[in-house]
Amino acid sequence: MSQRVLIVIPAYNEEKAIAGVLLGLRQAYPAYDRVVVNDGSKDRTAEVVDGLGEKQLRLPCNLGYGQALQTGLKYGLLRGYDIVVSFDADGQHRVEDIPAVVGALADGRADLVIGSRFSDNRPYTTPLDRRLGQLLFSFLTRPVVGQRIYDTSSGFKALSAAACRAIVQGSFMDFHLESIVLLSLLNFKIVEVPITVRERTSGRSMHSLASIFQYPLKTILLTVVAAMDAYLIRRTR
Amino acid sequence: MSIQGIVIIDLLGLGFVLLILNLIRTKKLVVGFGVVWLLAVGGMMVLISVPPLLQGLPALLGAIYPASALSLLAFVFIFLILIFFSVQISILSTRQVELIQTVAIKGLLAAEAAEEDD
Repeated sequence: MSQRVLIVIPAYNEEKAIAGVLLGLRQAYPAYDRVVVNDGSKDRTAEVVDGLGEKQLRLPCNLGYGQALQTGLKYGLLRGYDIVVSFDADGQHRVEDIPAVVGALADGRADLVIGSRFSDNRPYTTPLDRRLGQLLFSFLTRPVVGQRIYDTSSGFKALSAAACRAIVQGSFMDFHLESIVLLSLLNFKIVEVPITVRERTSGRSMHSLASIFQYPLKTILLTVVAAMDAYLIRRTR
Repeated sequence: MSIQGIVIIDLLGLGFVLLILNLIRTKKLVVGFGVVWLLAVGGMMVLISVPPLLQGLPALLGAIYPASALSLLAFVFIFLILIFFSVQISILSTRQVELIQTVAIKGLLAAEAAEEDD
């Protein structure tokens, strides 16, 4: 029996890119369902999505990436999907990479598949501060998770329903390093598959100057909390 | 502390109590927070109005002057109440997120149900 797949697309002010993303997904994978999580966009994102006849979860105000994605996961669980894929609305992710990400999950090799921009020494350029942060968190994963994860902040992931449930039940999650640590410590299998990303052509990145300082501290704190969560969940099992 | 000082501080405390009661009455302050503030004001008034208590406080806290001991108490109270407020704001924030997510999911489920009925 084929597995039901839901592609969750968190979107904030992506009126220029969202149509291309949705049309690309619809054309390439008509069997997969899609849902846009409109994270309180102030532009015409909602109208564009409605115009295409696509489903959208309308958040009345901006909650941020993690909470928006969490809404999509909750909807996916409620609707009984077997696999949930997170896919960016800004057009950076390529629909051609979906089979590799979903495939690793569908054949039971993993519970969480990360579409990695950095594995296999892929040429993906990011600003120096973000690259340094990535490297730090990537090295940190080896002692904690037991395997090196090259791309801890990828927005392109696929999760099994069981992994979704574990993440939704956990503490507040940003769906980056802390969710990887939580799932790993709960014995979920994690696999990275290489993907290629395009540079964004419209909209604004969610990373600001303040996030250079805030993001690493927040991620470390969340990771410690996730490790505590995992420890307590394992003890009560 | 002189009688005059005690009277002034007690009058200020009474004014503060009236202010808190009025804020609760006009629904600008929830009862739970009001109780915390009333306990703090009441405790301060009792400490200042009963000289043996005020004199015993520095010895209890290892301070030299009553004023230093009172400042320490005030600092501890402010620190605790800030943590208390941070917790309350976080609880409200979490509930708000859950509410917003529920509204969004219910909205889509209702739209899907309506579409199936058509």
